[in-house]
Amino acid sequence: MLLEVDGFCKRFGRIPALSGVGFHVETGELLGLIGPNGAGKTTLFECLAGVLPSDSGVIRSGGAVLDARARRNLLFYVPDGIAPWPHQAVGWVLDYVIGFLGGRAELRDELIAQLDLAALLGQTVGTLSKGQRKRVLLAIGLLTAQPVLLIDEPFEGLDLRQAREIAAALRVHAARGRTLFLSIHQIGDAARLCDRFVLLSGGRVCGEGTVPQLAATAKMPEGDLEEVFLALT
Amino acid sequence: MPSRSVASPFRWLLEKEWRELLVSRSWWILLIVMGPLAGISFIGAVRAYAEVSGLNGTSAGVGEALAPLAGVWAPTFSACELVAVFLLPFVAIRMVAGDRQSGALKLELQQNLSPAVRMAAKALVLLGGWVLAMLPPLSALLLWKFYGGTLYPPELATLIVGHILNAGLTIGLAAAMSSFTEHPSTAAILTLTVTVGTWILDIFGAVEGGLWERAAGYIPAALVSQFEHGLWRLDTTLIAVVLIAAGLLLAAIWMRLGIPVRRRAWESAALGVLAAAAIFACAFVTPSWDNSEARANSFPEADERALRHIHAPLQIDVHLAPQDGRRTELERQALSKLRRAMPQVKVRYISSTSIGLFEQTAAGYGEIWYHLGGRRAMSRVTTPEGVLESIYSLANVTPPAESGDEIFRGHPLAAPPKGAGTLFYGVWPGVFLAGAILVRRRFK
Repeated sequence: MLLEVDGFCKRFGRIPALSGVGFHVETGELLGLIGPNGAGKTTLFECLAGVLPSDSGVIRSGGAVLDARARRNLLFYVPDGIAPWPHQAVGWVLDYVIGFLGGRAELRDELIAQLDLAALLGQTVGTLSKGQRKRVLLAIGLLTAQPVLLIDEPFEGLDLRQAREIAAALRVHAARGRTLFLSIHQIGDAARLCDRFVLLSGGRVCGEGTVPQLAATAKMPEGDLEEVFLALT
Repeated sequence: MPSRSVASPFRWLLEKEWRELLVSRSWWILLIVMGPLAGISFIGAVRAYAEVSGLNGTSAGVGEALAPLAGVWAPTFSACELVAVFLLPFVAIRMVAGDRQSGALKLELQQNLSPAVRMAAKALVLLGGWVLAMLPPLSALLLWKFYGGTLYPPELATLIVGHILNAGLTIGLAAAMSSFTEHPSTAAILTLTVTVGTWILDIFGAVEGGLWERAAGYIPAALVSQFEHGLWRLDTTLIAVVLIAAGLLLAAIWMRLGIPVRRRAWESAALGVLAAAAIFACAFVTPSWDNSEARANSFPEADERALRHIHAPLQIDVHLAPQDGRRTELERQALSKLRRAMPQVKVRYISSTSIGLFEQTAAGYGEIWYHLGGRRAMSRVTTPEGVLESIYSLANVTPPAESGDEIFRGHPLAAPPKGAGTLFYGVWPGVFLAGAILVRRRFK
């Protein structure tokens, strides 16, 4: 086990967004965080990454509780729907991620090819379409050096072909040992890509495991992920 | 020299902030506006200076006492003060709030670099941008030299440092407000509110006197005014540095989105207490340097030497209201100079009203009492000569003889502002406009 998430709670005023969220993450796995809109997926990722304060909760690795610095060394979070450094060219942004965020320079050209960014390198981030921006965000995340990458909605804004290409690229990186934790609200996409799943609904974990494990929990041995999800949430 | 890819994160951060400044419309507007603003002031000042120096048959007598610092440089660089108040905050707010607005902050926060260091990078780049913005008024120095004018580097350096410190205060304030608030427009409103608040403090100090008046002496406008007179006060400088650092640290505290708001609020309160304590301590620092060529902030050297020989504690009780013109003259022309020569002097202002109009008939109003070594004397004279005479008389010190060599004769210059219009209204805006277009085209 690479890390264990335990007891994450977060309230926005009187509204509970996360209630005692806990699960574990294995090395090199593709873990899907699935749940309906408003389930608390983004809040959970932001709390884990330390860009939003949680009310409680710890992350353990090797039995030790990780402090903020250790968390930053272990996890990197790619938010959804942002347009970072909008006036800078994509090529420069990738260099900046390598230089400032300590990214891996040796992956730069490979990612440009995998994510079809060559034509966008001279374009500023602010002028990109939603799908193009998503591919740049994925490149930013995949360039970073942290062992665990949290990506919020990796397929948002992508067409079917692009989504499949991105999924293939993510599998390549996971196969090399990078742990990918993906928040996906399209259960079909998640089912095609991920090894295991954390089901989140109303800020609570409703299930964790592979599709067969979740199906067993839901007492639906023949059920697919969608049916299991509906049954458990 | 390391290559770009292996340069330190801080260097990458500096490069990023610099690039962000380059694409900032508000910064380019600030640059374009600075030329004409400095030009209006410079051309007007040079014309007035030339007229009092005898141009076109006007009387040359006044020009003999005219110093370029007061006559030309203070008005020319006043463009910087105007721009620092009304335009620079928007540049700083964009630089700080832009990261939050675009979402870049969430990515950058995951780097282990301290938020204070990140804020320092922004401040350094903004100050660099400000120095570039000062190029138009600085170019006036060359023009002045070309006209045959004289330059006195110590007073010019003091003036420039004053405007850089003033810009630093604006940057610190705007950075704090940008980090503290969710939206740039709120930050802009709060920044301008604080600026207007300092003006209100200035008015309040003038009306109420006392501690308010003392506090008003440290607002940015008062700071600039001191430097404009060629006076470099260590207390004012240190207080400005403390305020700038406090603003940037406050911004750094609120930049940490992952820290609970309550903890950030406590840290801010602790920072406020520390800054207040530091400011209080700095207020007792007395060294100051009169860098003006005309010694506008000092008594003649012979008088200062004579005053240094008076060791008994001197207390002056001034029975004048805060808004009484005599009190203003006494403070500006005599007591501020006396404090520099005799740091241990105690001055008490005594009045029961703020305007003094209805106190005029009261017994004792208008009196200035000097207490020195158990002896006391009263005078109503508010001129520097009158104040010195009272002190010498009380201390049994023979007034030093006036030395003709010490008197500043001024540098009259009866030259029209030739070519200034072309430079300030044409060349500078043109250069900056072209720069803006080229940079934006390159980034697109």
